[in-house]
Amino acid sequence: MKSQTAMALLLVLILPLGFARIWRLQHGIDSQLASVSQEPDDVLLRSGKLVKIMSLEYAPLMADIYWTRAVQYYGNKHVRGQANLEMLWPLLDVTTTLDPNLIVAYRFGAMFLSQAPPAGAGRPDQAVELIRRGIQANPDYWRLNEDLGFVYYFDLKDYPKASEAFLEGSKKPNAQLWMKVMAAKIAAEGDSLSTSMFLWKDIYESSSDPMIKENALQRLKLLKAQEDCMRLDALADEYAKRNGRRPARMTDLVQAGLLRGVPADPEGFAYVFGEDGKAELNLDSPLLEQQVLLERLNKVVPR
Amino acid sequence: MKRVGIVALNTFREAVRDRVLYNLVFFALLMMLAAVVVGQISIGIEESVIVSLGLSAISVIGLLISVFIGVALVSKEMEKRTLYALLAKPVRRWEFLLGKFGGLVLTLAVNTAAMAAGLFLVMLYVKHSLQREDAVVLVAVYFIWLKLALIVALALMFSCFTTPLLAILFTAGLYIVGLYVQELRNLPVDVMSPAMAAFTKWLSYLLPNFENFNVMAMAAHGRAVPGTLILQNTLYAVIYCAIVLTGAAAAFSRKNLK
Repeated sequence: MKSQTAMALLLVLILPLGFARIWRLQHGIDSQLASVSQEPDDVLLRSGKLVKIMSLEYAPLMADIYWTRAVQYYGNKHVRGQANLEMLWPLLDVTTTLDPNLIVAYRFGAMFLSQAPPAGAGRPDQAVELIRRGIQANPDYWRLNEDLGFVYYFDLKDYPKASEAFLEGSKKPNAQLWMKVMAAKIAAEGDSLSTSMFLWKDIYESSSDPMIKENALQRLKLLKAQEDCMRLDALADEYAKRNGRRPARMTDLVQAGLLRGVPADPEGFAYVFGEDGKAELNLDSPLLEQQVLLERLNKVVPR
Repeated sequence: MKRVGIVALNTFREAVRDRVLYNLVFFALLMMLAAVVVGQISIGIEESVIVSLGLSAISVIGLLISVFIGVALVSKEMEKRTLYALLAKPVRRWEFLLGKFGGLVLTLAVNTAAMAAGLFLVMLYVKHSLQREDAVVLVAVYFIWLKLALIVALALMFSCFTTPLLAILFTAGLYIVGLYVQELRNLPVDVMSPAMAAFTKWLSYLLPNFENFNVMAMAAHGRAVPGTLILQNTLYAVIYCAIVLTGAAAAFSRKNLK
């Protein structure tokens, strides 16, 4: 009896201590492995057709698993600010081969691929290929044409092809009327502020993903700021015409009766005039950081 | 026919007694876990993954039951020597076999229906409401049940003339081959001799085509299944089961039970 009690006590002592040691040891092993392995993510099977054959009849479930892997891969890299997203294309390729009707993989996948690093893979060419594959598998889904137009318009700056994509989409069942309008507008004007605002607004309203919504909202705020600055520059020109000099401060425009009050950006920070006399974002505005980042990204993206 | 019914009912009771339906607990836990986790680790597939995962789980669990219990239906009776007592009564061998088949198919029907009910509850939790197009999930579940019935028939047939282990291997092998029948049909005929091309063509029609019953992708995306396909698949399963069970009955009637 005594020996049984002693054994029980020993177990009570050994179990927590033993597992606590194992826990710490595993942490040590993890950090060791992380230091020797530079790229733990890997897509062992890159052939979508092979994975489909191996999935027996469970290809739709495998597609969901691969899609979740793609989202996790992109999310992890995005959080760490890592620009290397070379596994993204194989993951999306396998996902869409396993389930050609998984619309979300084309739409979000193209977004992940097209954006410049570190926000995305900086491969708008692959985004175009992915969406074209999606259109082939889902010919009645007009939103994919919208996405194609979006990539051509914002990332590749290829306005004739963007217009063509919107026009093609406008012919599909249930396509919204503005698709045709957008096609004509882009064909006539190319890049314009109102077109950009409309497209980001549509992304903001049609997406249910918080990350995409936030990105679209930031873009809309920046575009609004850009539009405000252009208007303020026009007023400053008017001020210069009347007074023979450009305004130094926003209050100059208010005092001249050209503005009712000092205008603020969408984050509530008052606009200022820069050294060149042009209206710009306040140094304290959080939008300024976004703007600098976007300008840097635009320089990185190969046109 | 009454004797077949009695054997079937007893087979069902035996399966329940053997806690076959305990797999439902595993299924329920899996679906609850998926409903909570998937929304947080992925984007845009919260609804479709529930359907894909649910149907896959129904199929895998059903397959395991069909193959392992299907093979054991006859061999267990022989091992326990209960078959001799039964056949001493006015029950023909084919009636015993048909009853066993019916009993397991009934067990699978109850099991599959319970899992389908669970799947619909999880879908209701995730989507907050069910739409008309969700009815396609019911069709997918029905097709899985038809497929399982066919597998039970095959398992029963193999178990009539070989050992349980070999019967499991043959059934599983035929199931996997049956998923790629279409590939067999699509083999490049120009590189084969005419005789070989004819052989592969005939073989592709003789083998059970399990891909017929796979509408999981359509169910996951809420696409309707044509009514004609439902009818055709039902007929295919009934006729194929009848052929296989006739073969099984012939093998079993010749089997030396001494």
